[in-house]
Amino acid sequence: MKRGKGMTFVGDSRIPSDKKKFIPKDYSEYPGRTEAFWPNFLLKEWLVGAVFLVGFLCLTIAHPAPLEKMADPTDTAYLPLPDWYFLFLYQLLKYKFASGPFFVLGAMVIPGLAFGALFLAPFLDRGKERRPHKRPISTGLMLLGFIGVFWLTYEAAAHVDWEAKAENNKPVLPEETSVEIDTEDPGYAVYENSCLQCHGGELEGGAAAPTLVGIEYSVDEIKDIAVNGINTMPADQFQGSDEELQQLAEFIVSVNEQAAEE
Amino acid sequence: MLQKVYDWIDERVDITPLWRDIADHEVPEHVNPAHHFSAFVYCFGGLTFFVTVIQILSGMFLTMYYVPDIENAWRSVYYLQTEVAHGQIVRGMHHWGASVVIVMLFLHTLRVFFQGAYKKPRELNWMVGVLIFFVMLALGLTGYLLPWDNKAYFATVVTLEIAEGVPVIGEMAKTLLNGDPNIVGAQTLARFFAIHVFFLPAALFALMAIHFIMIRKQGISGPL
Amino acid sequence: MSEKKQQVSRRQFLNYTLTGVGGFMAAGMLAPMVRFAIDPVLQASSGGDMHAVVDVSEITTEPQRFDWTIEQVDAWYTSDVTHSAWVYKDDNDEIVALSPTCKHLGCAVNWAGDPDHPDQFFCPCHEGRYYKDGVNVPNTPPNAALDLFEFEVREGTLYLGNAIERGGDN
Repeated sequence: MKRGKGMTFVGDSRIPSDKKKFIPKDYSEYPGRTEAFWPNFLLKEWLVGAVFLVGFLCLTIAHPAPLEKMADPTDTAYLPLPDWYFLFLYQLLKYKFASGPFFVLGAMVIPGLAFGALFLAPFLDRGKERRPHKRPISTGLMLLGFIGVFWLTYEAAAHVDWEAKAENNKPVLPEETSVEIDTEDPGYAVYENSCLQCHGGELEGGAAAPTLVGIEYSVDEIKDIAVNGINTMPADQFQGSDEELQQLAEFIVSVNEQAAEE
Repeated sequence: MLQKVYDWIDERVDITPLWRDIADHEVPEHVNPAHHFSAFVYCFGGLTFFVTVIQILSGMFLTMYYVPDIENAWRSVYYLQTEVAHGQIVRGMHHWGASVVIVMLFLHTLRVFFQGAYKKPRELNWMVGVLIFFVMLALGLTGYLLPWDNKAYFATVVTLEIAEGVPVIGEMAKTLLNGDPNIVGAQTLARFFAIHVFFLPAALFALMAIHFIMIRKQGISGPL
Repeated sequence: MSEKKQQVSRRQFLNYTLTGVGGFMAAGMLAPMVRFAIDPVLQASSGGDMHAVVDVSEITTEPQRFDWTIEQVDAWYTSDVTHSAWVYKDDNDEIVALSPTCKHLGCAVNWAGDPDHPDQFFCPCHEGRYYKDGVNVPNTPPNAALDLFEFEVREGTLYLGNAIERGGDN
């Protein structure tokens, strides 16, 4: 073998003197018949590929790619989750031995050891034997790792209410129509006292309460909600006289009418 | 006609040997699912490559509409998904392809591992393969942020927190990825876009080329 | 071989099938993507909305420039864009609304912009000139007449729509 530094070349070209063509590997030592890659074997591969593609396209059509609301850094109620193939790491960092003072252990040492071992597997498992049951240590470690990752992913996913999460985060085009709020309106003064805390200075809503722009309630319904609450809104939020209640409801309806016109 | 064009080029640049190197080789029976159905496990590598091709193509097409800007990223994704013909499908292909490619890579890795196919002389190819796995995971991580929706934003915040937790270099690594020591925002998105679209694919192409050349040089490992 | 020239050899058959399956995969992958990419070409052009520009009483026989602002929706980006037109009444008391975009290279033309030709439109970029009716003056750079706006008059107000190309080489 004239390889590496001992190689001799033809003239000043880069063609080695013993240059052979890229000779395909001879598989005659293996049992069974070989088959030409092109076209025989490739055709079989492509048939598998075509079936796979049909299935894949069906998946994309049946399940549209999810898109949530536009990123809102102030959304404190949001439960952050990584993509599913990082869930095992995410779950690992929940445990006591992998968080707090042991954060480095959970975030660096354990995954580092696991992936480092995977990377260096050929040097850790140097035996000649290839059959899985003849090398129990490496097979066992791999199975352990596989089960561990699978279980961690399951643990992480099982505790999430995916449907509610998707429901709460449906994509909505952010409303551009900034409504002019008439702060002189007598209803606004009432609003300031009773509602502004949660529903925001411009009725835009907040972490605890939805926006009041674009709702379809009548004056009477709003009066009822202000007194009795609705969904997560508790009762008795409104403090004041009946006259003020009327002003408040009319004010909110007027803002909505104005928004609807735009 | 085609034959003439081929001959014209072949006369000048001698492409036949190149072509033969790619196409003209034998495939042993033990990897052929037509002979042994259990040999379908050898398909995972090829399917990984196929999904990668789908990812590259759909990604290229998605950038025709997508803009990496915090004001407009979400809007452009929303637009291409709701207004553009087949936008739902093209984004779907990229979204689901990202998951499928991880699954396929995982199966391919398990096949190679349990068959002990990474043993001498294929140690290097195994390591290149593991690097491809890491690059794919990084592509998934950076791509996750790009639509700039709530899950993208908060997942990235968490990821960057983890990076920050690394001793000594954590702060620097976070700032490097983030573009700003504190704000996850405009610069983060621009950086993740550049990493997702240029840096990681470049690394992926190089690694895949090495992976494939080594397979052709060394051939497929024998039957168990 | 010579007897059965018409027959397809096994290898050829496999090659054809291979091309077919490969074509199917390529088509399956690319069809949605290509349709996605060429969507803007196939979008029906949004029919010309008419926009109120000016009160008819303000229009004289002398071309005047009027501006109006429309909300332009460019995919995910909405902005206010100002358009303008040169509007006058011709000898038959008909309203003429000309686009100010020079047909040469797209600069903006001015009425009487050139002191030597006070009754013509003038483009300062390459000294293109147009008669009052928008037809280009021969031997100046433009080779077509200025575009005319679609217009209609409702309740004493002039509404303008899209600019329509007149074409024609004078």
